[in-house]
Amino acid sequence: MTQLDITVHNEHHRLLLVTSGPINSYTFTDFQEKVYKAIAQADTAVDMERVTVLSSAGIGVIMTAMEDAETTGHGFAIVNPSEAVRIALDSTGFGDRFPVVKTLKQV
Amino acid sequence: MPARRSSAATIVLDAAPSSILAFEDFVEVLAFLSPSEKCRILVAGGEMFDNVVKHGAPLRDGRVAVRARRGRSGPAGRAAPIQLAFFFKAQSFAAFALECASGGEGIKKPLFDPAHRRWRGFGLVMCRNLARRVVFRPGELMDRIFLEFEPEA
Repeated sequence: MTQLDITVHNEHHRLLLVTSGPINSYTFTDFQEKVYKAIAQADTAVDMERVTVLSSAGIGVIMTAMEDAETTGHGFAIVNPSEAVRIALDSTGFGDRFPVVKTLKQV
Repeated sequence: MPARRSSAATIVLDAAPSSILAFEDFVEVLAFLSPSEKCRILVAGGEMFDNVVKHGAPLRDGRVAVRARRGRSGPAGRAAPIQLAFFFKAQSFAAFALECASGGEGIKKPLFDPAHRRWRGFGLVMCRNLARRVVFRPGELMDRIFLEFEPEA
């Protein structure tokens, strides 16, 4: 079975979380822990090119991260989302509110 | 244009949170779905599976059967709809399903859960936005949920 894999890179004073695999109700806690920890420390970008599923639990984490980013004054962005991620974000009815960029240079 | 024949596949899963991974594996290998169709079914179906496991427990036999099906194409080559069906027997889910079927009044609006520091309540909203139709059919012998999806053009 596919598992979620998250690696954290420090790039130009920004934390980049490269995420692959499913972010679902069973795996999201690892995603939640790493995203919240990162956003508390620095500007954060989450590369979601290789995410195979994004559930409502994952979306809930992203929304909270967006609010944490406002509170801490750090930037937050979703980089190069896969089709599965784009479909999940759009299915909320407010997909255009998420900070999505194609490449890290756009952050 | 010849009619495309019906394709279907079924899996029986333990009613446990970890079974979401087996559900995803099941959908990933369905040869009769396009990548885009798989994405929609993975998200909406996963949310529904979660709801069945969380809110339908305890399930009789502790299992949920899931069937994915693409029907026959219609006249003039009209693309056939895709259906994802869940079969189970819950003690409490009939009331939940009836509430959903009566217009969704029972679906909680998304809210921030301070205890878990996370927004919650998007699952069924996402299901309804991804599926063309969601039907809840509680029954004495079997509860059923049907999600119908538009085929990819």
